[in-house]
Amino acid sequence: MFKKSHPLQSKSEIILRDIVVVAMVLFFSVFLIIPIGIAFAGSFHEWNPLSGTYRFLGLENYKEVIVNPLFWKSLWNTIIFSVVVIIFRVGLGLAIAYAIYSALIKYKSFFRSVFYMPVVTPMVAVAFVWKFMYNPQIGTINQMFGLDVNWLMNPKTALAAVIVMTIWKDFGYAVVMYMAGLYSLPADALEAAKVDGANAWQNFRYITLPLLKSMTLFVVITSIISYIQAYVQILIMTEGGPGTATYLSSYIIYDEAFVKYNFGYASALSFVLFIITAIFTWLSFRVSGNEE
Amino acid sequence: MKKKVLTTIMAAVIAATALAGCGSGAQTGGGDDGAASANVPTEPFGDTVKYDPSVAINDGKDITVELWEWGSDELFQQVIDGYQAIHPNVTIKLVNNPWEDYWTKLPLALDGENGPAIFNVHNSYHENLINYLAPLDIPLEDLEADFTGVEAHVIDGKVYYIDYGMMTGSVYYNKDMWEAAGLTENDIPKTWDEMREVAKKLTIKDGDRLVQAGLNFNDDFHQNYLLGLNYQLGDNLFQEDGRTPNVNTDNMKKIMQMLVDMYEVDGVGSKDFGEKGADSFGQGQSAMVIQWGHYYNTLNTTWTDINFGVFEIPTFDGEPYAYNRYNGESTFGINKNAPAEQQAVAQDFVKYFLANDEAQIAFNMAMSTFPAKKSLADNEQVMQNPSLSILADHIDHYIWPGPMPSTMETSLKKAGQDVFFNGVDIDTALNEAQESIIRDMKSSTFESVESLYKYAK
Repeated sequence: MFKKSHPLQSKSEIILRDIVVVAMVLFFSVFLIIPIGIAFAGSFHEWNPLSGTYRFLGLENYKEVIVNPLFWKSLWNTIIFSVVVIIFRVGLGLAIAYAIYSALIKYKSFFRSVFYMPVVTPMVAVAFVWKFMYNPQIGTINQMFGLDVNWLMNPKTALAAVIVMTIWKDFGYAVVMYMAGLYSLPADALEAAKVDGANAWQNFRYITLPLLKSMTLFVVITSIISYIQAYVQILIMTEGGPGTATYLSSYIIYDEAFVKYNFGYASALSFVLFIITAIFTWLSFRVSGNEE
Repeated sequence: MKKKVLTTIMAAVIAATALAGCGSGAQTGGGDDGAASANVPTEPFGDTVKYDPSVAINDGKDITVELWEWGSDELFQQVIDGYQAIHPNVTIKLVNNPWEDYWTKLPLALDGENGPAIFNVHNSYHENLINYLAPLDIPLEDLEADFTGVEAHVIDGKVYYIDYGMMTGSVYYNKDMWEAAGLTENDIPKTWDEMREVAKKLTIKDGDRLVQAGLNFNDDFHQNYLLGLNYQLGDNLFQEDGRTPNVNTDNMKKIMQMLVDMYEVDGVGSKDFGEKGADSFGQGQSAMVIQWGHYYNTLNTTWTDINFGVFEIPTFDGEPYAYNRYNGESTFGINKNAPAEQQAVAQDFVKYFLANDEAQIAFNMAMSTFPAKKSLADNEQVMQNPSLSILADHIDHYIWPGPMPSTMETSLKKAGQDVFFNGVDIDTALNEAQESIIRDMKSSTFESVESLYKYAK
């Protein structure tokens, strides 16, 4: 039944294979597995690598995470932030990709490039520009709409302002992914629907959308992983403020590790966040019914 | 050939200029050895801590050490040039790391075998550095005789670094706005009540819209008010045990209430007017700000159009327990893991720096810090800097709490933002700050040195 795998042709191929495998194992060991192991061990310690402090605490750091109200608040903020950004990223990405894919649109490469440009721009640069745009005195947004809102220091608007910036920066990724998905759709399925008299909406709803399910799942999963780790925009735009109104889970980890040098507690937070990310990812697979 | 001659002449001019710029206030060698040697000290100089340039370093053999710092290359290079002119066999290589990287790279480098022998210290990173520091090889009583605040740096009878200068907060005001409001030098406020009245006069509104803030403390109220005015009312920042924070007190609530009233009752500013008070002042939108000494140089280099003056921070009743908090700018650290011969150079270099009045003045002027060296307290050059001269009369009435963990600032910043932006009441905000600081300081070794204040109760 199964084809026998093609044997390596020569000694040089075998050597090349071994070199690549060893290099990859070394790379992932040094830059991934060993650091994760060190962080996991550190999560049970009072740990400051800069001062040399390393004292066993048992589960103390994990207990501290559970009872810290700021952690739960930041987790709730992270859920709101991730859900809203992902919904808009997927929705806008799909809509714009479908529009560009349409036969009515010319200059497809141009539009694809334009929408992808914010994605390749560094987050730090984008966050600074948007921070300037949100400035209550001289910001473009207030001037354009004749408003007087302190967007980033008002607890009602601060997180929303960061979300809008993140959507603007990131939806281009979904555009490009969905365009790749659209171009790989089987032409015969679309043709058959046309022959059966399906209108444009029916074509999209019952043919295109189901066929893009795998791509949607991919965009959602990568977005969940990415947004649970989001902290750069918070660091630049609000520093978690006003007060702690825009704290995200990853920002607490940054704050504990690189401001307070509390690496043990930060590591415990990281592993709790890792478990939460895994749960959300698993749930996404379950909801989509695509557990493979 | 022509090119070679020109190069030789230029090299000679550069050498002469460099050496001329590094002369110390100490005795210099006379004789007819040329311009360069005329500025190289040959006799011991200094007050109690003396530096003897005639003592050979590393037995006259060539040696190279590194000095790490995070900015002000020219300033450091001047001192290095002066030292190397005395000891041509010593090469001190200046290595600049940006501030953001410095505090990660430095402790890791000090933990290894090839870390710098000498490095610039900021006391806010004391806990990360202290395990790598070698004690100064200078008698404690000599340091105490020459410098203010040495006792606060003594750990088990040893001193690892001291302050060369003291920085604190003062009021910066826009002279043009001051004049336009009809105010004169006689209106400079001495009390907070007077300050609030002056701020009202400096405020300009167009209907309800603020056009010019009389006083702006956005984004720095925690550093410049909450962590300083407590002393005016007789409270330390830490309780008697030196570790428990003292931030949910009646006096702290009074200070926070005063800030709220300035904006919400007096209307002299707004939480939404100018993201940062310091920038707003520099952009000509605010008439007064309280800033620390470094702001004097910021105004002179970044906001050059602002015609500004400076006066001492007001008090509540004219007779404060202390005027404000200060923080020290630290002398260099010496790497205890460096090879012995490099440590010897580092010890000698630090002694040279401490004994050298010109270096002390240059560093204090560059950082706008009041000299910790007692003999320079009334130095003419120092007194020409208004941000320093206004401190001269009461400099002994400023307190250093010690190298406070950053949570003191960040927790009080959150408390202030909760009050101003999130509608949290002052009691709750300060109680949360107190709890947050206690939690964050659980693993800290910090102990306040407020009890060493000259007028401590």
